[in-house]
Amino acid sequence: MDIIAKALVLGLTEQAPMILAAIGMAVMMRLSGVISIAYAEVMTLGAYIGCWFNNTFGWNFYLCLIPAGLGGVLVSVASYFILFRPALRRGVGSMEIVIMSIGLSIFLRYGLQLVFGYRYMFYDVPPPQYIRILGVGVTTFQMTALGVLVGLALLLMWFIQKTNYGQQMRALASDEKLAQASGINPLAVTTMIWGFTGLAGGLAGAFFGQSSSVGFNLGWGRFLLVILVVLVGGTRNLLKVILAGIATGILLSGISLATTPLYAQVALLTLFIILLALRQGNRLSGEAGKV
Amino acid sequence: MNAYLTFALYTVVMMIGLALMFHVQFGLAGMGQFGIAGFWGMGLYGFGVLYLTFGWNYWLAFLGGVVVAGLCGLVIGLAIGNLDSDGVLVVTLAFASIVGLLLQTEKAWTGGVMGIGQIDYPFELGPRTDIVWLGILVIVVALMLFWVIRLHRSPYGRLLIAIGRNEALARNLGKKAFRTKVVMFTVTSAGMGLLGALYGSIIHFLTPMKVGVQVALAVMVGLVLGGSRRAWGAVVGVALTLVLFDIVIELYVPIPNYLEEAIPVFKQMALGLLLMLMLLYRPLGILGRMRRDKIVRSVDHV
Repeated sequence: MDIIAKALVLGLTEQAPMILAAIGMAVMMRLSGVISIAYAEVMTLGAYIGCWFNNTFGWNFYLCLIPAGLGGVLVSVASYFILFRPALRRGVGSMEIVIMSIGLSIFLRYGLQLVFGYRYMFYDVPPPQYIRILGVGVTTFQMTALGVLVGLALLLMWFIQKTNYGQQMRALASDEKLAQASGINPLAVTTMIWGFTGLAGGLAGAFFGQSSSVGFNLGWGRFLLVILVVLVGGTRNLLKVILAGIATGILLSGISLATTPLYAQVALLTLFIILLALRQGNRLSGEAGKV
Repeated sequence: MNAYLTFALYTVVMMIGLALMFHVQFGLAGMGQFGIAGFWGMGLYGFGVLYLTFGWNYWLAFLGGVVVAGLCGLVIGLAIGNLDSDGVLVVTLAFASIVGLLLQTEKAWTGGVMGIGQIDYPFELGPRTDIVWLGILVIVVALMLFWVIRLHRSPYGRLLIAIGRNEALARNLGKKAFRTKVVMFTVTSAGMGLLGALYGSIIHFLTPMKVGVQVALAVMVGLVLGGSRRAWGAVVGVALTLVLFDIVIELYVPIPNYLEEAIPVFKQMALGLLLMLMLLYRPLGILGRMRRDKIVRSVDHV
């Protein structure tokens, strides 16, 4: 019972940024039809920019989320205009685009080292005050961050599912020509999709960085679990992605408590491989379903 | 020959072999997988663990490393054989990550992050040993090239190409796409493991750091640069990139001291940039289309 309570609390407080990152990744995959491995670096950039503002100007962590999110938006939109849009217009295949995004990912990962240096950076946050939740000690900062994260995730979900802009994004993804005939500007909406993705990635990166350290490998180290959460949850339903993210976080914490964090990752990755292999029914139809 | 040059040549030849196996998976069968480092690492560590930790005979352990990589290829092949390209990508990436993690956690077998050693050559010819081993590696990779060229012209190779181009059509024509892909994936993964096992004797000491994403990146960049649809693409692409970065720049370009730390960073950035530019402006690489595509196209024009 004790381990379940611990897994629940730690899983939610420590792995919550993964849910935000997964929402961004799901939107990218579903609405733009592109799987960009460089999303990992959007997270890293968000973490770096937030940390830089925090350390250089002494900004409060929550204020640093603004430049972190904006940095993510900027890089994500720029990657679309500089790389993915020209590639799609040239008819480059989907697999080649993924490989191309690996190139971008590597370029950005090492480029960030040149800009921000080789050493790990840390957010300067207020000294922690501990409270007990379900008998597990967590800091008030962790709880506030969790609240902000949940708020942001719900806000992004609401934006996609309830607003006029979100409707335009989904319409464009379903049928581009029909969307154009309805007066939707594809370029503006696609830019919005990539901006949205970058915002989620940048913010998630800042939260990840705040809970550990900021280094060039921050995004890459978490990317695999993020994309697995999206694939298991399914890109068509953000709620399922969120649920998959929550389950992943709790499982990761639970197995880490029972064994070690490395074994927990091995167990989870193996579980995801088995889940994906068992869901073979979606083959080929998945390709056609994407826009 | 200077020791660094010998080592750089080992790396170039081994990467050519890996790119040839990746060419069969990606260029022919259309399976873009990211687990290259995982299969190569299983061969490398499979051999090392059997030889050093379990004390097997050198050649038996060597064979064991290849078999372990092949078995991993079989299991992963069965898992991804029916998945779409997203699933293949993620499962193979997950496999490579699992291998990387297990190399760190299983300290009793692998030595953890500290690594294990010392693996020597199975024979001793004095200063010539390195060169002889390089020669063996060249022969193995040349045989791989020969096999891949033969594969292009064989019915089995044509089946792989058909599956790579349009799997649904191949299935509808009664071809056993799943079985074909699993067999191909197992054989090519064992090939990657073979190269890993050969590399074990070259580096003598195994650490998890060696089994990193840089292996997959170098292979991908090389194949894309040379031309993923052509067998010789792997040879041309890898030779061009690695000879330039690992031999010409390292040995012959004077680098100021203050830039030494940044050189590996610049190298990775350049590889990433090259990968993007090639796929954007020349997706079929330097060598271009397959020979058969050129012939078919010319007949169409007539």
